[in-house]
Amino acid sequence: MIYADKDTEILVQGATGSQGAFHINLMNQYAKEVGGRGVVAGMTPGKGGQQVHGVPVYNTVWDAMDHHDIGASVIFVPAGGCGDAIMEAADARIPTVVVITEHIPVHDVMRAISYARTCGTKVIGPNCPGFLIPGECKLGITPTNLCRKGDIGVVSRSGTLTYEVISELSLAGFGQSGIIGIGGDPIIGQTFSDVMDVFYADGKTRATVLIGEVGGNLEIRGAKRAESLGMPVVAYIAGISAPKEKRMGHAGAIVEGGESDAASKIERLKELGIPVATRPSEIPLLVKEVV
Amino acid sequence: MKFREYEAKKIFRDAGIPVPNSELITRAGEAASAQARVADKVVLKAQVDVGGRGKAGGILPATEENISDVAKELFGKTIKGLPVELVLVEEALEIQHEYYLSITIDRSAKMPVILFSEEGGVEIETLAKENPGALHRAFIDPCFTDVPDFIMRNVLGSASKSIGPVINALYHVYCKTDAILAEINPLVMTPKGVIAADGKIVLDDNALVRQGISENRDLTPREAEAEKHGFSYVELGGNIGVIGNGAGLTMATLDIIAHYNGHAANFLDVGGGAGFERVARAVRLVASMPGVKVIVVNLLGGITRCDEVARGIIDAGVPQQVIVRLAGTNEAEGRRLLEEKGYLMLDTMDQAIRAAVEVANK
Repeated sequence: MIYADKDTEILVQGATGSQGAFHINLMNQYAKEVGGRGVVAGMTPGKGGQQVHGVPVYNTVWDAMDHHDIGASVIFVPAGGCGDAIMEAADARIPTVVVITEHIPVHDVMRAISYARTCGTKVIGPNCPGFLIPGECKLGITPTNLCRKGDIGVVSRSGTLTYEVISELSLAGFGQSGIIGIGGDPIIGQTFSDVMDVFYADGKTRATVLIGEVGGNLEIRGAKRAESLGMPVVAYIAGISAPKEKRMGHAGAIVEGGESDAASKIERLKELGIPVATRPSEIPLLVKEVV
Repeated sequence: MKFREYEAKKIFRDAGIPVPNSELITRAGEAASAQARVADKVVLKAQVDVGGRGKAGGILPATEENISDVAKELFGKTIKGLPVELVLVEEALEIQHEYYLSITIDRSAKMPVILFSEEGGVEIETLAKENPGALHRAFIDPCFTDVPDFIMRNVLGSASKSIGPVINALYHVYCKTDAILAEINPLVMTPKGVIAADGKIVLDDNALVRQGISENRDLTPREAEAEKHGFSYVELGGNIGVIGNGAGLTMATLDIIAHYNGHAANFLDVGGGAGFERVARAVRLVASMPGVKVIVVNLLGGITRCDEVARGIIDAGVPQQVIVRLAGTNEAEGRRLLEEKGYLMLDTMDQAIRAAVEVANK
C-alpha cells in the first residue's frame, strides 16, 4: 500500500470551502470509477450536520473518527488555520495527512510536523497536489485523466510539472504505480527518501521518476535512498536558470547558496550515476533505458 | 522580507538583547546632535538592504570633530546601487571578542537550528567551508518555547555562559517575528558585557499579514502589483515574457528557454483556477515590462480551464506576439478561440518555447 488504497476511508478537513467541496466531488468520482471507498466524512468547525456532495460534515476530527474508520485526511483549510488543522488530525492519530494548502507560515508547518511525528502521523505536503494511486485512490487534486496504471513511481515537489511528466509517461506507454506530490515548501512532511521507502515496501514499483527543483538537498538524499534500495531512478530538476535569492513561485524554491542550486544538484546526481533529463519530454526515454 | 539593522536592533532591545546606544538620522545635518546624545565615539552605518556593507564603505567611524563631514560623505554615497537615505549613529564599541550567532531553518531536520561560533564578524558561508568545526549547531524542536539547557551547553562549548540568555532571547525573537533568519554578527564581548553589534532579521513572506506588515518592500513595483493579485512574479532581465501555471512548470519553461539560447524577461505563475480576467491581467503585467518582445504562455489546465485562459489572452490585447501552449481541461474550446484570432498555438511546451525564442532572437 502506498499511503492509502481502495479501502481507505478519507476525511476532508475544510470540507465546506469551495476547494474542499469541489475536490470531494472529484475524489469521489474517481473512487466510484475504481470501486474504492473515497471521502466518507468532511470536517469544518461550526458546520457539523451539513452535507457536501452527500458526504456528512462534522465539527471536529474526533467526531468524524467516532463515526468512521478514517485512514487518511486531506486538508484544504486556508493558510492561517492550516497548521492547527494538521495538529488536530495528528492528535486524532490519523495515519496519513495530505496538506494541499499553500502559503502556510513556515513556523506553523515546523510545529505541526514535529507534533505529527510524536503522534505517529505521516504528513504529505504542504503546498502539494497530494497523491494518486492509479486504479486505487486519489487524495488531493491530481488530474486523473492523464495517468494510467503501471509500475513507474513518480515523486515530485511540483504540481503542474508532475502532470506534465505523467502525461509524457502515459503517452510513451509507461503507467504509474503511484504519483506523489510532496510539496514545494522549504519544510515538508514526507521527503523523497520517505517516498522511496514506501514505493519499495509496496513492491510494485519498477523504477522511479524524481522531480525536484532548486532549494535544499532532499533530491540527493532521495536518489541515494533509491539507489541503496536497488530501485532505478530518473531525475529532472527544474530551476537551472533561477537567479539567486529570488523566490521562484514556490516558497521552497530559492537558491540559498551552497549546493542547493539546480546545476550543482544535477552534477551530484550525475556523479551518483543517475540519468538526469534536461527537459520533461526526455524523461520517458531515460525511463526506457533504466527499466 | 528583510528588516534593516535598526529595525532588527529595536526588536532585539525589546526582547532584552543588549544593543549599542544609537539614533537613526535621515540627513547629514542631524548627525552632530545625534552624536552628542549617543556617545563620544560613534560609527555611522548606512541602512541599506545589501550584504557586505562595511567593505563597500557603508560603515564609517566618526568623532565630535569630523562627524558632519563623515555624515555628508555617507549620505552622498550609493552602496551596491542603493542610495543612502537612512544612517544609524551608533556608539563605537570596545571589542574584546567577536562571536557569530544565528537561528535559521534546517530543511532536513525540519526544525529551527542555532548556529554559533566563537569566530564572529566573518561570512558564515566562508566559516562553514574553511573551519566547519568552529561552527556549533543545534536543532530545537519547534514545540519548545525555550532553548533547553542541554542544547545551550552544546551550543556554547567553552564560550562565556553570559551568552546563553542572548541565545534564548534571540530564539524568542525568531519565533515571535515569524523569522526565517535571525542573526547577530558579530555578537561582541565588551567590558560592559555581551552586545549585539549588528543584527539581521528575515521574515517569512507567508506570515507578513499576521506580523502586521501590509507591504513587502523587497519587491519591485511590478512584483508588488503582481503580489497584490496573488501572482508569483519574478523579473529576470531578458526579452521573453513567461506565463505558466504552477511554479515547477513555469520554472521548467524558463529552463527550456535557456536551453534554446533564449532569455526570459520575467515569469508569472497565475496559480490554479484562474478565470479570464485574471489571465488578462497577468498577460498585461508581463507585457508591461520594458524589453519584452514576445510572450509565451504555457498552461496545463487542471482546475484552470483552457477556454478561460484563451479569453484572457484575447482580452489583454497586448502589442507583443503571444505564443500559446494549452493542454488539459476544455482544451479544444480554448484552441478554437485562439485560432479564430490568429494566435500561434503549439502542441508541446518544447515547440512553443522554441518558437518564442526564434521570435525574440530575430
